[in-house]
Amino acid sequence: MKSVKLLFAIAVLVLALAPVGAQDVTTVSMWFSEGSTLDCWGPIMLEFNEVDPSVQLEIVPQADTWNVTRTAVAGGGGPDIVRTPGPSFVYEMAQAGLILPMDTFAESMGWGDFFFDWALDLGLVDGQLYSLSDELETLVMYYNVEVFEANGWTPPDTMDELNALAEEVEAAGLTVFSHGNASWRPTNEHFVGEYWTQVAGPHKVYQALSGEIPWTDESLVGAIELLDAHMQAGWYGGGVDLYFTNDGVYRRTSLAEGSAAMNIEGSWAIRGTVDYFGESGMTWDWVPVPSHDGTDYYTIGMGNTSSINANSPHPEAAAQFLTWYFSPATQGKMLTSCLKGPAPVAIGADVMAELDPRIARLYAELSDASANDRYGYTTWTFWPPKSDVYIYEEVERVWTGEITAMEYSAGLQELFAEELAAGDIPPIPTR
Amino acid sequence: MALLSQNKPTTFFEKLNDETWRRKFLRNVLIPWIFISPLLIIHLYVVAIPAVQGIYMSLTDWKGVGMNVNFVGLENYRELFFEDETFGKALRNNITWMIFFLTVPFILALFCATMLSQVRRGGMLYRSILFVPYVLASVVTATIWKNLLNPQRGIGAAADNILGLDGVFGIAYLGRTETALMSIAFIDNWQFWGFLMILFLAAMQSIPPVLYDAAKIDGANRWQEFRHVTLPGIRPILVFMFMMVAIFSFLAFDYIFLLTQGGPGGASEVIATQLYKNAFFRFQAGYGAAQGVVISIFAGFIILIFVTVKRRGWDI
Repeated sequence: MKSVKLLFAIAVLVLALAPVGAQDVTTVSMWFSEGSTLDCWGPIMLEFNEVDPSVQLEIVPQADTWNVTRTAVAGGGGPDIVRTPGPSFVYEMAQAGLILPMDTFAESMGWGDFFFDWALDLGLVDGQLYSLSDELETLVMYYNVEVFEANGWTPPDTMDELNALAEEVEAAGLTVFSHGNASWRPTNEHFVGEYWTQVAGPHKVYQALSGEIPWTDESLVGAIELLDAHMQAGWYGGGVDLYFTNDGVYRRTSLAEGSAAMNIEGSWAIRGTVDYFGESGMTWDWVPVPSHDGTDYYTIGMGNTSSINANSPHPEAAAQFLTWYFSPATQGKMLTSCLKGPAPVAIGADVMAELDPRIARLYAELSDASANDRYGYTTWTFWPPKSDVYIYEEVERVWTGEITAMEYSAGLQELFAEELAAGDIPPIPTR
Repeated sequence: MALLSQNKPTTFFEKLNDETWRRKFLRNVLIPWIFISPLLIIHLYVVAIPAVQGIYMSLTDWKGVGMNVNFVGLENYRELFFEDETFGKALRNNITWMIFFLTVPFILALFCATMLSQVRRGGMLYRSILFVPYVLASVVTATIWKNLLNPQRGIGAAADNILGLDGVFGIAYLGRTETALMSIAFIDNWQFWGFLMILFLAAMQSIPPVLYDAAKIDGANRWQEFRHVTLPGIRPILVFMFMMVAIFSFLAFDYIFLLTQGGPGGASEVIATQLYKNAFFRFQAGYGAAQGVVISIFAGFIILIFVTVKRRGWDI
């Protein structure tokens, strides 16, 4: 009798546990850089695990995510979701067959319903969708409101107004732009890209990117000459040599504490700006970077991209996560909670209403600019890798007087022509 | 003799029948190889095979991702030596770096080791203090010095404040093309020279004191003692470190990348930082591999010089 009872108990236990054991849980892995970004993004991304218990996201923190990822992926391993720093990296990985084309997922999961058309096009390699762009970025000119009010200044709209204002800023004993590249040397490319767009105009840049005109075009060289003139005048961080030693902390504190008047920086800097101004008790605001004719141009960039590893054992589950992650609801939540630059998806007006009006205005203006032909191109998103590195490394030789703006542009033209001929140019939205 | 030799096994299989030979073979040949084989296999797998692969990759246009590899022969080397102006600049910086490290830390280390070798009480404290920087991680040292050399809040700015000067000492050492490389070398040396000093001190302490006594009896002064007793006494370690430092000078990377990433305007660019950028930023892994091979050739050339000198009878 005892043994019958025991068998019965075992049978009940087995039956009770059976559904749990039989349930297949698919784990989708994602590698992410350690730090404050993950601290804020991580908990929101893990909310995905409540959507469908059969697909679970696993975030693995890494110290040097991109280099670790590409090494692992090239070796046949790596995470299911492959994040890259931009479309040019996607191009190389797609060519090497390391990531999957995602067109079938895009169609079946309706990605076209919430992504902007041009944004999906950014992920195309040879006509197939290999990546989804994330963290829509632009550069704007932040300024210290109290400093401007105390001196009776108004933010400039044109380069001429900027010239006049800079003289007044310097006369007041302040630094024009709180800048430096000691923390991140590729910062240089922000200004090169901005001056090309704001001085020569985005149409000229588009023509050069398409190979219709060379980078030695007079207007483009003129933009580099103007940037060099501003650099030599000490506008950026107080002098060329100081620019090379000013770090990120200097950049934020000098603007927030009022020893610098302005700062041309990316939309990604909003979070830091909010924090530093919060500590100093002063007020920040932004305006578009002044252009030659007063038109508000916004350069568009992508902070990173997401793809599916070609070696992923469950690409469908990975696509399921991407659908959730890039949905306007998730992106809206990450924008409001972490001030994350949203993916280029249509975020609802209700979400934007929750934001600081200055931040909401920035994304609204950016959206308007992209719809009305007032957008430009950030170098890290639209330039091929060798040209991109050339842009931010060699421009220092212009600033240190080793080469001229024309020599710099000629060097870029040679390299760019080579990459253009090899078909290494990332997709450029047509105008 | 002929009769004796006829009885001796000559072929390998004949020798195998000889019990004595078998035992000798086992003890002197087979067992040592069995013991060394794990290390040999690991070495082959992680050093020799990747090295050969690296040489092969240097002859290709490999981008660093995927396996799309095209053989381009010596094209990468041709471009490196005949087209790439920045390579020449980086090589010059490496040579400057080598000259700095073959002089400044050696002079400092020799001087301090000589002084410390004569300290009878408290010597260990001095040694520890001078050696401490060596145990710091390079990223820590770089961060400390980046702040110390900051033109606005560093020691130079503090000195200017105290002396009532403006921008005399508080300059952007890492931001000027003329000072960037030497500033980084100074920082690297700050960490490194203590290690060199400890090595020299240990070598000096192994010199028999009677040699110094004999020198004194012969009327040698301090300089003559140093020149004729100390230097010959530590020559093996001195020469060995000369060779190692010369090789390491072509591998310099960490401080440069942490402090300036080769800037400003390539003023502190060396071959290793260029290699890294080519392989990981520009998708030119094949070209980067060619630079790696060139570094190895330089290192091999330095070793060759020392081996040649040793073979010619130099006591090193």
